[in-house]
Amino acid sequence: MNPSDILFDHSLSVTRRKFFGRSALGLGTAAMAGLLGSDLLGKKSFDGMHHQAKAKRVIYLFMSGGPSHIDMWDYKPKLNDEFGKDLPPEVRDGQRITGMTSGQKSLPLAPSKYKFTKQENNDRGVWVSSLLPHTTKVAKELCVVHGTFTEAINHDPAITYIQTGSQIPGRPSLGAWLSYGLGSMNEDLPNYVVMHARSNHPQQSLFNRLWGTGFMPSDHQGVLFRAAENPVLYLKNPAGVSRSDRRSQLDALSVLNQNHYQDFADPEVLSRIKQHEMAYRMQSSIPELMDHSEEPDEVFDLYGEDAKTAGTFAASCLNARRMAQRGVRNIQIFHRGWDSHGNLPSQHGSQCKDIDQACYALITDLKRLGMLDDTLVVWGGEFGRTNYCQGKLTRENYGRDHHPRAFTTWMAGGGVKPGITYGQSDQYGYNLTDRDGNVIKPNMDHWTKDTMHVHDLNATILHLLGIDHRKLTYRYQGRDFRLTDIHGHVVKDIIA
Amino acid sequence: MLSQIKVFPFITVAFFSVSFLAGEDTTIDFAREVLPILSNKCFACHGPDTKKKDLVRLDLEELAKKDLGGYHAIDPNDLIESELLFRIADEDDPMPPEDFGKSLSAKEKKLITDWVKSGAQYAQHWSFVAPSKGRVEPTGNPVDHFIARGLKRAGSRFAEEPDRATLARRASLILNGLPPEPEELDEFLSDDEPGAYEHFLARLFAKVDYGEHVSRYWLDAVRYGDTHGLHLDNRRGIYPYRDWVVRALNANQPIDEFIRFQLAGDLMPNPSEDQKIATGYVRLNPTSGEGGAIRQELQAKNNFDRVETTGTALLGLSLTCSRCHTHKYDPITHQEYFEFLAFFNNTAEESMDRNKYVYGDHLTVAKDPVSKKKWNDFLKKETEFLKEVKDSGKYNGKDDSLSSLTDLLNADLGKPGNQVRGSSTNYPRNQKPEMAIDDRPGTKYLNRDGNGSGLTIITRLGLVAGLSLTSAEDAPGRDPKTYRLEGSTNGKSFTLISEGEVPNFTKRRQKKEILFDNNSSYQHYRLTFPKLVDVYSKEMQIAEVELLKKDVIAKDDLLARAQVLNAERINSEKNYLTTTLIARELPQQSRRETKILERGEYTKPIGKALDPGVFSILGKMKEGSPSNRLGLANWITSDEQPLTSRVLVNRFWLMVFGEGLVRTPEEFGLQGEHPTHPELLDWLAVDFRENGWNLKRLLTQLLSSRTFRQSSARRLDFPDPENRNWGRGPSFRLDAEVVRDLSLWSSGLLNRKIGGEGFKPYQPSGMWIALSHPNSDTKNYKMDTDDSIYRRSLYMYWKRTSPHPMMSLFDAPSRESSCVQRSRTSTSLQSLALLNETQRLEASRKLAERLIRHAVEDTARIHYLFELLTSRKPKSIEIDALSELLQNSKTRYSKNPSDALKLMGQGLSAVDQKLPTEEVAAWTQVAATMLASDPALLLY
Repeated sequence: MNPSDILFDHSLSVTRRKFFGRSALGLGTAAMAGLLGSDLLGKKSFDGMHHQAKAKRVIYLFMSGGPSHIDMWDYKPKLNDEFGKDLPPEVRDGQRITGMTSGQKSLPLAPSKYKFTKQENNDRGVWVSSLLPHTTKVAKELCVVHGTFTEAINHDPAITYIQTGSQIPGRPSLGAWLSYGLGSMNEDLPNYVVMHARSNHPQQSLFNRLWGTGFMPSDHQGVLFRAAENPVLYLKNPAGVSRSDRRSQLDALSVLNQNHYQDFADPEVLSRIKQHEMAYRMQSSIPELMDHSEEPDEVFDLYGEDAKTAGTFAASCLNARRMAQRGVRNIQIFHRGWDSHGNLPSQHGSQCKDIDQACYALITDLKRLGMLDDTLVVWGGEFGRTNYCQGKLTRENYGRDHHPRAFTTWMAGGGVKPGITYGQSDQYGYNLTDRDGNVIKPNMDHWTKDTMHVHDLNATILHLLGIDHRKLTYRYQGRDFRLTDIHGHVVKDIIA
Repeated sequence: MLSQIKVFPFITVAFFSVSFLAGEDTTIDFAREVLPILSNKCFACHGPDTKKKDLVRLDLEELAKKDLGGYHAIDPNDLIESELLFRIADEDDPMPPEDFGKSLSAKEKKLITDWVKSGAQYAQHWSFVAPSKGRVEPTGNPVDHFIARGLKRAGSRFAEEPDRATLARRASLILNGLPPEPEELDEFLSDDEPGAYEHFLARLFAKVDYGEHVSRYWLDAVRYGDTHGLHLDNRRGIYPYRDWVVRALNANQPIDEFIRFQLAGDLMPNPSEDQKIATGYVRLNPTSGEGGAIRQELQAKNNFDRVETTGTALLGLSLTCSRCHTHKYDPITHQEYFEFLAFFNNTAEESMDRNKYVYGDHLTVAKDPVSKKKWNDFLKKETEFLKEVKDSGKYNGKDDSLSSLTDLLNADLGKPGNQVRGSSTNYPRNQKPEMAIDDRPGTKYLNRDGNGSGLTIITRLGLVAGLSLTSAEDAPGRDPKTYRLEGSTNGKSFTLISEGEVPNFTKRRQKKEILFDNNSSYQHYRLTFPKLVDVYSKEMQIAEVELLKKDVIAKDDLLARAQVLNAERINSEKNYLTTTLIARELPQQSRRETKILERGEYTKPIGKALDPGVFSILGKMKEGSPSNRLGLANWITSDEQPLTSRVLVNRFWLMVFGEGLVRTPEEFGLQGEHPTHPELLDWLAVDFRENGWNLKRLLTQLLSSRTFRQSSARRLDFPDPENRNWGRGPSFRLDAEVVRDLSLWSSGLLNRKIGGEGFKPYQPSGMWIALSHPNSDTKNYKMDTDDSIYRRSLYMYWKRTSPHPMMSLFDAPSRESSCVQRSRTSTSLQSLALLNETQRLEASRKLAERLIRHAVEDTARIHYLFELLTSRKPKSIEIDALSELLQNSKTRYSKNPSDALKLMGQGLSAVDQKLPTEEVAAWTQVAATMLASDPALLLY
């Protein structure tokens, strides 16, 4: 060993100590590998941080804007009978509503115009609306959670809440926590990827913070994959610079940096040398990943014609599957346009058309490849939509405001019980109830069966990936922060 | 019994024996060694927020040693019988309990046990005790006194000094965010006089770069951004605040005053423009105008943000815990949080921003220093002109402003919005004479009732020299045949201006103008139509009436000049002035009540209204101090308050050395880290305060210390990976802004314009639109196309929900929340950005051109490249590596000249056509590589 090797060894132990210094309880080998590069530990993957992981990876299909549970998943025939009648005060029970409908003279109940059919699953069956003819076909794979709820009633706080555990910006995102906790499973692709799928109604904003790191080091942030010339920012060499030109540059760069290391023995220099090499590999691995030309026709039959157009939800799902195959642990697709305050049928019609076949295809494809067992797929938005109409109500057209107290998300694969529903809303699709129909007023402090607060959802996701949400902490401002703050309950009822 | 004991302030019951140095003797230092364990592992249940009344309190000595009915948590009379000792040793039922998730290590148990056995003496947490200055040797730099002592104790000493050039580069990067100019470096290196280094530092302090660089740290802490930060994330106008920070730091404004301006400049007597601009601090919190948002909710959230940012940035305290309940670790109660919040709850702006650039109180100010000068020049010219007008005596009463003069000419007479009166009430509804001036073509009736009925227009004083009439939709017989226009200054006695025939309308909705001569200006104009086209018609109708102003330029030189000057004023206002958000306190009668919010929920105010107040653990506000932000500002910067100067000194140390003396610069409470050198921190904190919070002086102290002047190489003889003994000099990757500025600077592209609206450089297309709300005014990124794209990164436009990727990729915070220490990561994405981003490639090309022009020999060029970026000569191994790259590239681009042209086509700046293409392309590759290398990107 030459002196700089000794120093390097030493510096590794320091990095380790520094790392643990920030994490109150320390992390397992997984996080270390993420930090140091998995090759250093001679392992490619991990069994979980705190317990055996059910899922190795997660694909999160995020429906930004608040998809209507009432028109898609949560069948409420009673609303048909109550068409146009005011939301009964005893149902609302004084709960707050947004500034957009609080001034309305009435809150007329708006039944869904869509036909629901009951699909068999492995439990009591699940009703699905005609907006989702394809997803229906994988009902036996889905765990449909009707019991999801949140406190936030406007987009910015609600989406920030479900993605970072706080309504106020500044905290690391779910993806950042996973990156921090689990590290990477591959050597030439990012560990945490975010895609934005095209929508005909790109209402509502997204924010970098939704895949950002807050107070955590910024290398845990999601890497944006875009349907652009450069799928990853600055990926391509500039015009006039070939791959071998770049190789020459990196060779020279490596000499300069190693010389600097000889002089200063700063371990960060070694880390940067590694990153330059990884960047070089990414320049070929990412174009290969994004090139779907090798995919056989039946794949496009499965995902639909849309999948041939870069940037669509379908193409993003196909990307997600290809990433999953290549060891990307954490993949998030954001699909905007679900904020249907008016003209819900036409907007949701278009939105569902974007996603329906692709959701079905993704699950079918993962299953076909034997990957569904260890890939958790999550589908959902930041809240649901009201059972009452915003604006003019007819049988055929209506709008819905934001509804936080009951909405539907679904999960599939990754150790979740397939073909079940979990939780239920009342006959109005307004409040959550227990199985007997008694209204529950859930509270994030005390988990109640049949409910899934957004913190519970995140706790459950972490659990499936082998993480105890109470133990994955990051110390900032003297406090051991968690994704789930001081809340969160792993909903074991849905775990296989 | 326990419940009756007054919990706070605990400062009164705590026993003071703050012995910071636990070096040689074995006495256990409670504050440094034991208290952090108790805080981290016990206080969650047995601390300030203990819920159950019968639970033992360990945070207060008096309670910990209380008789609990036959036993004591800590028994002062029989220490080894203390219940605490039994409980932490109990393996079956341990404390902390297993399900708590944090257990005591054997070492921690021993420490606690030893502490109890040795008397269980309590002491206050170090940072809540006012700092005092220890004794230092009368000569030498006091910083070195403390650091050398620590090194000696650890069996070591200072590392060797770096060579002077490296030191110069280091100092320049720290104070200016740029390396030294080659001439400056040469001068320094050839200056053999004693004090040469201090002289060099003084030059760095004198440059504008100093304020531009140092202000960035402040802007991170106060989360400065150019957009609202929430929902639509629209533009907001507050950049004059950013420029004020730069100005204040360059002027070396005492930092206590700098802080007071920001917290309460508006409450100071006759506040100056700067004092008002500075209060932008209070307005920097992210805001929302989301459609469904609830006003009270946002009022609460805005306040939380202000309180918690102030906690982090100025007090080094995490206050977020106490938003929902009494702090788990620090002695800060739930009520105190809201008393502190009350300081911020009475600024006049609404809680929702309506997505506006300007909302709530704002100030009109010059955009930047150049604009300010131009605006002042204009004002001077205007004043002189108005004096001339006054002296002429021609326009008495109208000569106090350009606008009142040009009103005489330019008044928008007879436009919608002017007051119009019909002189008859006998007209159809919805077709009133008042509507004759509404820019709508519908018919209006001006009934004739034999009294010359018509309409009176009341406008600004002005000269009318014409009429415009538009015929109605139908019934040509009802068109006017004659008109009569009279004027009046008081609305009572009217003077005839003009009368005569109305030209024939040949079509419906046809506009006709009637011009006449008139030299008198009036405010009331009465227009009547004595005759109609059809003499038998009883009703007259018309679509639109307009009074035409008089063009008098040729007739009166003064008014003509006023007109020109006024146009200049309007342009100047647009070009030179902007607005900035400021704070204003609500008057007494309309103040908002502040109450405790149960669990921090805005819907659950409890208890009585609270007066503003500070945290009792940190002392009191001065007697008679105003109970508002001004009182707060005075308290935060007062001598007695133990935190602010420590927190700031630590952050400046962090800026210089790359890490803080306290390694948790955001947290000085019980859960924070203990300083590596407590006495040094305290000495500096007091010294800083005693010397007028003089930042340049403090930084001079730090940068001229031997501690700073050490080689930053890791030491085999003294391994200290985290440099907690400060036995080597600082080394770290430069911040995002410096990484960018450095490349522009070396290429000669850097634009030194000071201040003004944020600029927008190259950015990959589609980044904003992909995220933005369709109604957002920042959804389209429109790159600037002038030389503003080469400005220093400090001035880059900061969209908080999507900052520029060259900033985010290199660890710049989003500025949505306070950041007092950036992370420093190394990622593959950074590598891609370093080598492929447009501006860097452009800078590489311009740097290549500069190198080629500088010298003929390749080796000389490489020398210059190193001199610029590393302030040192290249070693032969470095020369060889770059030469090889150069030769490969030359060969390659000679064979493929079109590739050379493509590479050189990056960026907007012109290519130097005089230089050979393949030569420039090859050197561009070399420059880009060097700019991406650690010798260039790191401070060392």
